[in-house]
Amino acid sequence: MMIQMSGISHQFTIGKRAKEKVVPVLKNIHLQVEKGEIMAIVGRSGSGKSTLLNLMSGYIRPTEGRIVVAGQDVTGLTEGQWADFRLANYGFIFQSFQLIPGLTAAENVELPLVLKGVDKALRKRRTEELLEQVGMAEYMTHYPGELSGGQQQRVSVARALVMEPPIVLADEPTGSLDSENEKSLLTMIRQLNHELGITFVIITHDEQVAAIANRTLRLRDGAVQHPVPVSGSVQGGVGI
Amino acid sequence: MKLGDQLQFVRQNMKRNKTRLFMTILATAMGCAFLIVLASVGFGVQKSIVDRIVGDRLVTSIEVPGKDRDVNDNQGIHSEDIQYFHSIPKVKAVTFKYWVNQPIVIKANGAVIDNDRMLMVDFNAEQQSGTTLSAGRWPEKDNEIVVGYNVFGVNDEGVSKAADRLEQVVKLHVDHYDGGKLATKELDAVIVGVWNEPKREWIEDKAIYIGEGLIGQIEAVTGTLAGEIPYFDETPDPKQLEQRLSEIPKAGEPRQFGGVTVVADKASDVKGISDTLREKSYYVYSVADEVSQINVFFLILKIGLIFVGAIAVLIASIGIFNTMTMAVTERAQDIGIMKAIGAHPSVIKRVFLLESAMIGIIGAVFGTVVAYGISVAVNAGLPALVSMAMGEKLPEGFRFSIIPAYLALLACSISLVVAMLSGYRPAKRATAIDVLSALRRDI
Ligand SMILES: Nc1ncnc2c1ncn2[C@@H]1O[C@H](COP(=O)(O)OP(=O)(O)O)[C@@H](O)[C@H]1O
Ligand SMILES: [Mg+2]
Repeated sequence: MMIQMSGISHQFTIGKRAKEKVVPVLKNIHLQVEKGEIMAIVGRSGSGKSTLLNLMSGYIRPTEGRIVVAGQDVTGLTEGQWADFRLANYGFIFQSFQLIPGLTAAENVELPLVLKGVDKALRKRRTEELLEQVGMAEYMTHYPGELSGGQQQRVSVARALVMEPPIVLADEPTGSLDSENEKSLLTMIRQLNHELGITFVIITHDEQVAAIANRTLRLRDGAVQHPVPVSGSVQGGVGI
Repeated sequence: MKLGDQLQFVRQNMKRNKTRLFMTILATAMGCAFLIVLASVGFGVQKSIVDRIVGDRLVTSIEVPGKDRDVNDNQGIHSEDIQYFHSIPKVKAVTFKYWVNQPIVIKANGAVIDNDRMLMVDFNAEQQSGTTLSAGRWPEKDNEIVVGYNVFGVNDEGVSKAADRLEQVVKLHVDHYDGGKLATKELDAVIVGVWNEPKREWIEDKAIYIGEGLIGQIEAVTGTLAGEIPYFDETPDPKQLEQRLSEIPKAGEPRQFGGVTVVADKASDVKGISDTLREKSYYVYSVADEVSQINVFFLILKIGLIFVGAIAVLIASIGIFNTMTMAVTERAQDIGIMKAIGAHPSVIKRVFLLESAMIGIIGAVFGTVVAYGISVAVNAGLPALVSMAMGEKLPEGFRFSIIPAYLALLACSISLVVAMLSGYRPAKRATAIDVLSALRRDI
């Protein structure tokens, strides 16, 4: 089992001290993501999908519940420990790519390796390899501003994979892409899942995206809508 | 993250807003230069003043004018005292002057050599203590003598004349009483050297320097200590002469030395030796003592100047604080992205601290270079300005501004520390940036 969330509740506290207001977002969520599967999280806007993923990412802490990732209880990690954990275990794909505008495509991809303190020569090789893999080798020295949305997303996929993480978390990865780019990204995700056994957790409201998932979790008003059926063999990878 | 990569990162960040960076570094450089130049005046004036006080006197010498009368029955310094001084560790030499107590006429080929006193010194000790001759050599035999710098004339003329007289045999006319009558006995001596130039230009040295052997010969002639004899207007009757002679110490009685100077191995040994001597109730004076008091005054002055100068650096630090705060705000999104993919907060903090440290270092280096330039310019220009404005000349070699290496280092350290302190809060703020707020576009 890759990710296990049990009894997760989360509420945001908004407003100033005197007029504090508590907004409950997630209610008693139980969730398991198996090793090597693609799990889609779907639901209406505001249903708490991003909040759930942010809890998994360690960007926020659950009000209640326990999170275990790759066999490690991450519920009580400090900020620094979370940072190290993310670097070692997660790749991230964001809806708006989140590339650093001042760095070239290659430098953006290289960033996790730099943070990890990997040797320069090895870094260079790995970066070129990944950019090659996502078909962006020619754009190494381009800045994000000089790339189209689809190209930027490829670079960000390269960055997500450069550390060979066991898990990739993606919040609406196709949200900013046209249908052609969307298709090629989904193909890439399936391929990575199939060939490298990378576990994906993908938030989407797009049925086409949900279609490549082994399982789909539906959220409604911060609760799991109905039990999630396990579809076929997870280890087999692609279900569709 | 490796340090090299952090520095690379800092370099990239610094390139983003070059004008702002330049202004910040400029302010830091100005602060640092101001600090150095201000303090350098303290150093310069101190050195100039101390140099004048010390002159060419030995900072290693300790003058011992006498002993405390309350403790000792005699104030004078005697042979036992000199021997004791020799026994103190780290004493290099003990010099003294001992007056011959008779105006001895010296003649060369019948012509009188003008002199105003005759002094017995320890030639070996003088040599060890660093006394030099302006011509000739040190005496080796009992009857070899050294003449004062001005014996053969004032200024350099005397020396060149004296140089011609070296190895010349002269006659010392020693007065004494022989059978109740004043008589003169001639003693042979050879001039072998000329004493060094007096330290002050208004002093004339017309002394004759002799060794212990020759004074012994003189005393043998007179039978009295230091060759002292009584003089009378008319020939004295024997009783009167005997009475006066009995009042004079006999040859062989203990000598009382003047101008006793204990010379230490090193300037740093002076204090220890002085303390030892004071403990033994000797009166002690050394230039080092006087200079150390002046140095204390200047130390306080310099600390004050550095403190005032540091305020300029502090003002510059406001600029650094401002620049770093802006930089953090501008880069909030980058920081958020880096944190999101797994940058440790300490790395973020270190990168920003490095950046402000870099500003501090670059500013300090430029400031130091400029300060050296100003210092050279001031030393070259100010004497001319003073002589123009007041019609007065500054003493030779007077320097307003001296920048010792450690002052430059201290100023750079102050700049660096101040820069890092002012970068600390912005760096801390950078680590506190919330990932989700920075990535807001996704939520
Ligand atoms: N930082 C926050 N403070 C307060 N409320 C928030 C915050 N983030 C999200 N919410 C609220 O939580 C709910 C779920 O948000 P989110 O998880 O982003 O939904 P989704 O991603 O499914 O659209 C929304 O009602 C939203 O207003
Ligand atoms: Mg969302």
